Amino acid sequence: MNVPTCRIFRAAGALCLFAASWSMVLGDAGSVPEEWKLPAEWVQLKAGKGRELAAGQCVVCHSVDYVTTQPPLGRAAWTATVEKMRAKYGAPLPTNSVAPLVDYLVSAYGKPDAPK
Amino acid sequence: MSRRRFFGTAFAAAAAAGLAAEDHVELPFENGGRPLVRYPQKRPLIRLTSRPPQLETPMEVFDGGVLTPNDAFFVRYHLAGAPPPREVLVPGAFRLAVKGSVDAVLSLSIDDLKSRFAAAEVVAVNQCSGNGRGFFRPRVPGGQMGNGAMGCARWGGVRLADVLKAAGLRSGAKQVLLDGLDRPPLPGVPDFVKALDVEQALDPDVLLAFSMNGEPLPWLNGFPLRLVVPGHYGTYWIKHLHEITVVDGEFKGYWMDPAYRIPDDPCAHVEPGTKPRHTVPITRFNVRSFLTSLSDGAHVGAGAGVRLRGIAFDGGAGIREVVVSDDEGRTWRAATLGRDEGKFAFREWTLDWRPEGKGPRELRVRAVNRLGQTQPIDPLWNPAGYMRNVVERVRVHVS
Repeated sequence: MNVPTCRIFRAAGALCLFAASWSMVLGDAGSVPEEWKLPAEWVQLKAGKGRELAAGQCVVCHSVDYVTTQPPLGRAAWTATVEKMRAKYGAPLPTNSVAPLVDYLVSAYGKPDAPK
Repeated sequence: MSRRRFFGTAFAAAAAAGLAAEDHVELPFENGGRPLVRYPQKRPLIRLTSRPPQLETPMEVFDGGVLTPNDAFFVRYHLAGAPPPREVLVPGAFRLAVKGSVDAVLSLSIDDLKSRFAAAEVVAVNQCSGNGRGFFRPRVPGGQMGNGAMGCARWGGVRLADVLKAAGLRSGAKQVLLDGLDRPPLPGVPDFVKALDVEQALDPDVLLAFSMNGEPLPWLNGFPLRLVVPGHYGTYWIKHLHEITVVDGEFKGYWMDPAYRIPDDPCAHVEPGTKPRHTVPITRFNVRSFLTSLSDGAHVGAGAGVRLRGIAFDGGAGIREVVVSDDEGRTWRAATLGRDEGKFAFREWTLDWRPEGKGPRELRVRAVNRLGQTQPIDPLWNPAGYMRNVVERVRVHVS
């Protein structure tokens, strides 16, 4: 279990007081963090055609909340984002996957283009 | 997957990690729902993303004083190989290298930094370039934060200038490159490296910090060493800093160009929906101010006195004045400024307010710095969603 040592101290008040005064005397200069475990990723992508493609590609470099927290972007913005991931961030996305990925992002996390 | 099963799985995963997604907040813009999640050394914070972690400070924290507690301080990373693991950060493993266009290459432990160089300290705000991006209209892609990607701390360490002088800058030295231990997930992803011009790197305000509010840096804020560039956006405050390279030319890495650039215009803005013709690297904060003692939707008793409180800051000139309006900007009253913690710090302000009449009321706060620079009444726009500093409005109800 990833229970921080500090919590155990807190449960035993006298020990906590001891720990606090000890760290004040020695200073915390040489101390290191006690917890090194991050919470799990758990956000899911919306269902839809192309979801597996997005789930497989986008998570290579980042959690899917990078997608799910975006505002409703139009096709041009989602296309630019996917192209940026390929051109600038080296995403190993095959050329023929760009269009289906953009289709999924627009339908699941986008907005319809404004009428012309 | 059904909604119910989705949340069931989520909580099971969180419980398995010994953590809980305690709560949920709605930031006031479309698709602004965020979980409050507890990370190591942090109280539950507003999670934007999990890999790499990006956490935002709830606004009410800023009402607690000008120093933001370490466990509430925002977290922002760029690369999925972040934060770096324990093995490379602990005292036995960690070294800071100073190399490139220098007379003597250095390799320093944290203890070396403490014993060989004079201690230095600064109270300074760190703020993400995109703080408040979620409020941009029209919306722009990128990390959709409210205004909580900022914080003010007392940073302790040594001067970058002293370390550079110990290495000895060669005559052709032009820029100083700063690299942390956070790593790209793939070879094609550009490593997060930033550059400062030598003149700026030698500024005595720029620190190599190993302490924050009297404690070692939290893991997620750069343990064991980070750069502190007071008055400048967080993009320069490299975390887990382990390599300083002095170069004779101008660095053209991705995170200097095309990333983190603003329109080449005094207000860093363009017509909404358009692209800037020329850009320059983002540098200093503009002026900002916030009301922290009341939030949108708060109820205030008519005729009863209420003390308004908030913070203001800028890029290092210091705050000269904060004014508050309760009548949509027709009249403004000067607030009382709190203790001056230095020109790079949050400056507290207070104002006693006795609302008359009943109904909805909009409070606006505006700061002016010692250069006479202030905040626009209407928001300015740029395509990257940087440098928001509009006069903020808080809508309260007098009853």
